[in-house]
Amino acid sequence: MVAESWVQVGASSLNDTGQALEQALQALQCPQDPKLIVALLAPNFDLAAIAEQLHGTFPHTQVIGCTTSGEITPGGAVANSLVLWALGGSAIEVSTGSGQGDAHGLRQAATEAAHCLDHLEQRANTVLIVLSDGLCGDQMDVVRGAYDVAGIDVPLVGGCAGDYLAMSRTRQIHGRRVMTQAVVAAAVSSDRPLGIGVSHGWTPAGDPMLVTGSKGNILSTLEDKPALDVYLDFFNPEDIVRTDPTAFANFAATHPIGIRRRDKIEMRHVTGFNLDRRELILVAEVPQGALAFLTEGNFDSVLNAAAQSCISAVEALNGFPPAGLLLFDCVSRRAVFTEERVHEETDLITSSCGAVPMAGFYTYGEIARTKGAGGFHNQTLVTLAIG
Amino acid sequence: METTSWSLHMLSEILSAFSTEDPDNLRNVLNRVAESVDAEVAAIICNRSIDWCIGLSEDDQQLLLEELNNQPSDITIRSGILRTCWAPMGPMDLLFVGRLGERFDLEERSLLRAMARSIELSIKMLRAVTSEREARKDALLQATHDALTGLPNRRMVLDRLQAAVDHLSVDSSLLTAVLFIDIDRFKWINDAYGHSAGDQLLIHVSRVLKHVVRHDDLVGRLSGDEFIVIIRTSHRDDAGQLASRIIAEIRQPVNVAGSELSHTVSIGISFAHLGDSPSTLLENADMAMYQAKALGRGRHSTFHSTMRLQAQQRISLEEALGNAVQNGEIKPFLQPIFRLDDKTLTGFEALVRWQHPQLGLLMPAAFLEQAEDSGLIQEIDMCVFASACAVIASWQQIHGLGNLRLSSNLSARSLADPRVKVHIKEILESTAINPASVYLEITETTFVDDIESTTATINALRDLGLRLAIDDFGTGYSSLLYLKRFPVGVLKIDRSFVSGLGKNPEDEVIATTILTLAKALELEVVAEGVENEAQMKRMRELGCDYGQGYWFGHPITIEATDVAFIEPLRQAPLIP
Repeated sequence: MVAESWVQVGASSLNDTGQALEQALQALQCPQDPKLIVALLAPNFDLAAIAEQLHGTFPHTQVIGCTTSGEITPGGAVANSLVLWALGGSAIEVSTGSGQGDAHGLRQAATEAAHCLDHLEQRANTVLIVLSDGLCGDQMDVVRGAYDVAGIDVPLVGGCAGDYLAMSRTRQIHGRRVMTQAVVAAAVSSDRPLGIGVSHGWTPAGDPMLVTGSKGNILSTLEDKPALDVYLDFFNPEDIVRTDPTAFANFAATHPIGIRRRDKIEMRHVTGFNLDRRELILVAEVPQGALAFLTEGNFDSVLNAAAQSCISAVEALNGFPPAGLLLFDCVSRRAVFTEERVHEETDLITSSCGAVPMAGFYTYGEIARTKGAGGFHNQTLVTLAIG
Repeated sequence: METTSWSLHMLSEILSAFSTEDPDNLRNVLNRVAESVDAEVAAIICNRSIDWCIGLSEDDQQLLLEELNNQPSDITIRSGILRTCWAPMGPMDLLFVGRLGERFDLEERSLLRAMARSIELSIKMLRAVTSEREARKDALLQATHDALTGLPNRRMVLDRLQAAVDHLSVDSSLLTAVLFIDIDRFKWINDAYGHSAGDQLLIHVSRVLKHVVRHDDLVGRLSGDEFIVIIRTSHRDDAGQLASRIIAEIRQPVNVAGSELSHTVSIGISFAHLGDSPSTLLENADMAMYQAKALGRGRHSTFHSTMRLQAQQRISLEEALGNAVQNGEIKPFLQPIFRLDDKTLTGFEALVRWQHPQLGLLMPAAFLEQAEDSGLIQEIDMCVFASACAVIASWQQIHGLGNLRLSSNLSARSLADPRVKVHIKEILESTAINPASVYLEITETTFVDDIESTTATINALRDLGLRLAIDDFGTGYSSLLYLKRFPVGVLKIDRSFVSGLGKNPEDEVIATTILTLAKALELEVVAEGVENEAQMKRMRELGCDYGQGYWFGHPITIEATDVAFIEPLRQAPLIP
């Protein structure tokens, strides 16, 4: 008998937590109890009640989840919704873990969460799905901490939990626990292939600059000049962006910084500034000594990257039809598309990959380590395809 | 567009990654090395073992070690073929970098060697920096903290006090209070239970203090049994309330050396004022603490300027006392000791008095504490002993008084001084007194105080032919072993038991017990403080050998003694 795998997605946009969960569960229509449910939740829901009720409904199913900055369903990008991505089938083995971090960072928390791999019955292909608190420390540490356990054999995918750009608090779910400043992880092993695609669609807008001053996710100087001034002088935005934090954050969402890597450019989302120190604040580390680019992208390049990410993931299944997709899409990309045209991204994915069950969320940072030791991204769509 | 060499950028990034300020940074450096060359694996191998590694499972790490001698360019692991780069870090160590996919080209390999050299230097520097930091930290800790309790020591306390006083010029809204805490009768606990028990008690007190005070308050140990608490508060009463809490907490019984001990502390409080020196603040609190002790221990007292006056008076007294010895103002008074069965005169105890030129005759209570504290007690002991020996020796020349006894007090400080035997020998020789008739009175506490160091002195006194009398017997804790081991000839029953005879049955039991013990050990017994005939008769009935007290005679001058007791004997000696 050939081992099979399946993905089902259920979603609801109802405001009431109980009703929304009930509607999403009814929509799941799982052939049997899922091995894993990934719950992607707008922050307004009662996460504790959801975790408890999921456990009551599927007591033998592993559950992880997080708050988002927008959700993706087979019907397209949605907001203020509850989405359940369920994975099951005889080909699939799952174990989950979590680690509590603190204001100093998440490296150790990521390591603890990744130790769920120790309890996993390994099949032919394994991936570690990681969901972290996107407002806690340098997210490079999440990749490094998870990689300390996963190592070369297990790729990492995932995203940073969001809070609809309130930038105050995100939450994570592991089983019946609701956490903050934490990392939750699900190790998935399958007899069938698993594919990962990564693409962003951004290109350098000018010459590379040497990062002459940075510490963690604070970028102080580029070519020995204040980073904020270099950034503003280059893009020359309207005046309000130069002084107003909200206007700056909105502008920066579509003007990320790229870091030169050996054969690619890794994107870094600029989240804010320090007006007094003339520094840029990013979501993750920009290493001192690195080469950085100010980048540009347009609707088409960013949209095409979505198709590229999904196609790459599906191609990695080596001819196996995709059972489902799990998408980790940067919240900044949603800003590029605008609310009116954001559906075009999912439309394009559907037309590229077929009508496969898919779900995902808009993140504060994306994780995809398939090659090398790094794997933290911004302004990027990361796709996990289940074969 | 981009013109910068990729390898140059890579080197720039990696070299920038080193920071000697953060010892944990090496772990991140390893990540950065791997990330910068898109490698999956990076490891630092020191002395043929892997110190740090990212990317490889434990099994694959073992494989890496097995290939260490060959250093092949490819290693096959589960995930595929790992292209390798082995970059030496000194003679023994290696930076290993491994990548699935493309081999490292010449440029990358040369750069990784440069990185390895940088890591090597960083590790050395980090070790040196860490070692230096730890050495400094240890030195600072030792210089500023007490080894036994871990509390800040006098130096740090003084520093904090100076800072507190300085802060008053910036913010005077809060008061700085100093609590000087002294364990009552700590010496007794040390003597009775040993220094180890004393140390346990000190640690216990330090813990209680840390528990009682707030997080921001400072608890320190000045020396011995003296602790200090420095608090900042907006209410003056808070210091007194804290002192009361400390006293109440420390009063709780504690198990020390297997015994439940209940002990007290006395606390003096002083408040800082702008311009005060730290040492003045401590002195003030110390004076207040003495006041608390004087009020009856287990209390607290707040410094007042009159206390300084009293302290100055004490110091003046101490200075005058020093001159008193030189000026011959210290005099022995003699109190007779009688045999109880036939009421015959046996001898005298020499008791010290100070004939103060302005204050008149001072009793020992007025100056012995200062004498003890200042060390003058040794001079006083010898002064009294020499004068008394001289007169008793002269009286022993009288027919029938050849066995006239002299009892003279020897303080703990004198007994602890190895030179005392020389002084006593000189006095014995210069006065030609019969040593067998001389008893040196020491208290029970003195007897066992630091027994190891006083044993040599006691043995030397025995060799001179002297004997010991144990004063205030029954109030302390003499070991029977010591009574047999040392040349003890007499036990003196403390006056508190004698005064209780006929009134307090327990005192009678104790007196009887002491007499029974003395008989068993073949020791003579003197009852102190015999003030009436009933007490004299009762002691005699109980079998006591000798009596001393007001009923027999008050301490009086040598001249008066001669008239009252010796002159009659010149006519008809009573001593057989």
